[in-house]
Amino acid sequence: ETRAASRARPRSGPAPVTDVAQLCVCDLLVAQCDVNCCCDPDCSAADFSLFTACSVPIVTGDSHLCSQKAALYSLDVEANPPERIFKVIDHTNPSVFCIHAANYEQALSFSSPTMPTAENFDLLLKQFGSAAFSAEPGSWNMNIDAENSSDGNETYRYEYGVPIQTVDAFLSLPSPVVSSWCSDANPAGFLVNQATKCTRSVSVEKCGDIQAVNMLFYINSSILAVPKSSQMVNITVQSIAVQSPNGIKTLVNGSDGLRLPMILDGLCINIVLGVSYHITYTDAGEIIEAAAAFVLGAINKEALSIQQSFEISFTQVNTEAVPLSGNPGYVVGLPIRAGFQPQGYPFPVEVFAAFSTNKYNQFTILQSTSNQDCLAAQGARTPILFGYNMISGCKLRIPSAMKCQPLSQTLLDLLKGQNFPEYVASFGNSQAQDVLDWVPITHLHTSEQRISNPFQSSCQIPVAFELEVKWTKYGSLVNPQARIVNVTARITTTPLKQLPSGRERTIPVTSSVVFTDISSPAEPGYKAWPTINVKLPFDFFFPFV
Amino acid sequence: SSSQLSSVPLQMLFYVHGVYDIFYFLATLAMILYKSQVFSYPDGFLAPDLTLLCILAILEALRLHLGSKGNLTEEEAPLGISLVMTVGSVLLAMYFLVWQTYVLKADVILNALLLALLGLEAMLKLMAIAAFV
Repeated sequence: ETRAASRARPRSGPAPVTDVAQLCVCDLLVAQCDVNCCCDPDCSAADFSLFTACSVPIVTGDSHLCSQKAALYSLDVEANPPERIFKVIDHTNPSVFCIHAANYEQALSFSSPTMPTAENFDLLLKQFGSAAFSAEPGSWNMNIDAENSSDGNETYRYEYGVPIQTVDAFLSLPSPVVSSWCSDANPAGFLVNQATKCTRSVSVEKCGDIQAVNMLFYINSSILAVPKSSQMVNITVQSIAVQSPNGIKTLVNGSDGLRLPMILDGLCINIVLGVSYHITYTDAGEIIEAAAAFVLGAINKEALSIQQSFEISFTQVNTEAVPLSGNPGYVVGLPIRAGFQPQGYPFPVEVFAAFSTNKYNQFTILQSTSNQDCLAAQGARTPILFGYNMISGCKLRIPSAMKCQPLSQTLLDLLKGQNFPEYVASFGNSQAQDVLDWVPITHLHTSEQRISNPFQSSCQIPVAFELEVKWTKYGSLVNPQARIVNVTARITTTPLKQLPSGRERTIPVTSSVVFTDISSPAEPGYKAWPTINVKLPFDFFFPFV
Repeated sequence: SSSQLSSVPLQMLFYVHGVYDIFYFLATLAMILYKSQVFSYPDGFLAPDLTLLCILAILEALRLHLGSKGNLTEEEAPLGISLVMTVGSVLLAMYFLVWQTYVLKADVILNALLLALLGLEAMLKLMAIAAFV
């Protein structure tokens, strides 16, 4: 019943206090005495005896009034102990223009604003709202059109940051707005490379109904090649990768059209977990190609939400995006560039393909997974970033009857990865043609075998893979550039002892990358002392020499 | 000499009142301007005050003219009308004394003087009408 009552009459703020005897500006501590505040009601006579002065000597009403009440506070320091004197007097304004009476209630104080309620909200919004509170986003589009139409017969083109337009609206890159839930209203800006991750609520029952997990939703709108034109660019499906529940992504061969969500065995499959747009543009600001690479996954009955990740990147037509890792020295955090040398010249690394297991197709290290089983974690690798020491590992469970040689080969592949390179670029911008700029990887092999049984040549399995990258500072003292000098790959093996059947062992396998700075300290050099180079001419003492 | 029925004090009062009215009108206008600048004086309150001041000025001018004419021509009719208009002036003066939006001390003084003059005038007009009739 209190809610009904409060809804009936509009609430307003508390009425202002006007009695001067009760106003106290210096009373800031609740239920505690403020120091030197003579008007504080929480202070006792004992507290007053400790004060030295009154911070607020007089409290009056509006001084424009002809006659008003004033509360005077002062300390009588003559008395022992000092005590506070409080008087309420009538204070008169001697001016002839003082206010004798005011028939207008809000004349001398601020008006309390009306509290917005459900009934008067629209009225207040109309009265006080302005462009900042306008609730129609459509009005923004009208302004943009008005501005652009005044440009006349200009050819349109996309500029940096301009939202990419599609047939009906903008190309949206779903992103988290206030919370982590996806909002589909974030337009993608031209030449703005973005990557976002957000959460989407799903359920297996509404498998086919949720638009946002359906591939069609992301490719059915065509992009306008230039703003406000009728030339359209369709979004093609570049690749589809299917992600298994434990995180392994597999590329699907031959994109055979769209894969729409459907229910299979109690799981909802083909739901979109990630989209990566690649837009190709010309230097005239026109989009000529758009491709999307998808990651599809499956959810089961217990899943209530999934995390989707979105990415957009732009490439200029007829260029190859070879990302450099530094110019010229390596930048900390950028991947190390590596390559091969078949018959003569090392290749630069290829342009990355979306959603292959190691993104940059080059120097990678094993990535630890949550289940820590070496043989199950096929393919999870992470690129080696310059300056970041990494260590990762897994546990190898060896059943007793495992053959050593295939196990050794499998582990080696696991530790080194596919396409283990032979050369590493010594500078971040080393070109393939400069053979001398590439450093060969040295391989070392150490064995944990104890020397006790040199004749028992049991087969060795690799258990540790260490990469040591030695780098030095190169160039001027004020702006040193990082340069890789030496890369050593050391594989440590241990003999596999055959155990009686039925028993199973677990050995840890580690791989690590260490960056060592071997730059020699700079030696200060001093200029030579200036010498006075004075030589008398040959025939100075002519007549005598 | 005593066949003159026109009241000399009344005429003198009319003259003084005329001068005072000019001063009163200018002073009240200036004070309303001052109040509108210094205090919060919304338009809804300013308009009635200014309107009534203009009405008072016109009323006073008319009243003094009719009264003076009636007194000098020794006619009761204009003097009677002037007496009735005095009532209106008194009401307006009361408004400016009590019900104005802001009543300053100077307002009180001016309007009190105006009321005193009006009261004196009313008495003298009655006596003059009585003498003319």
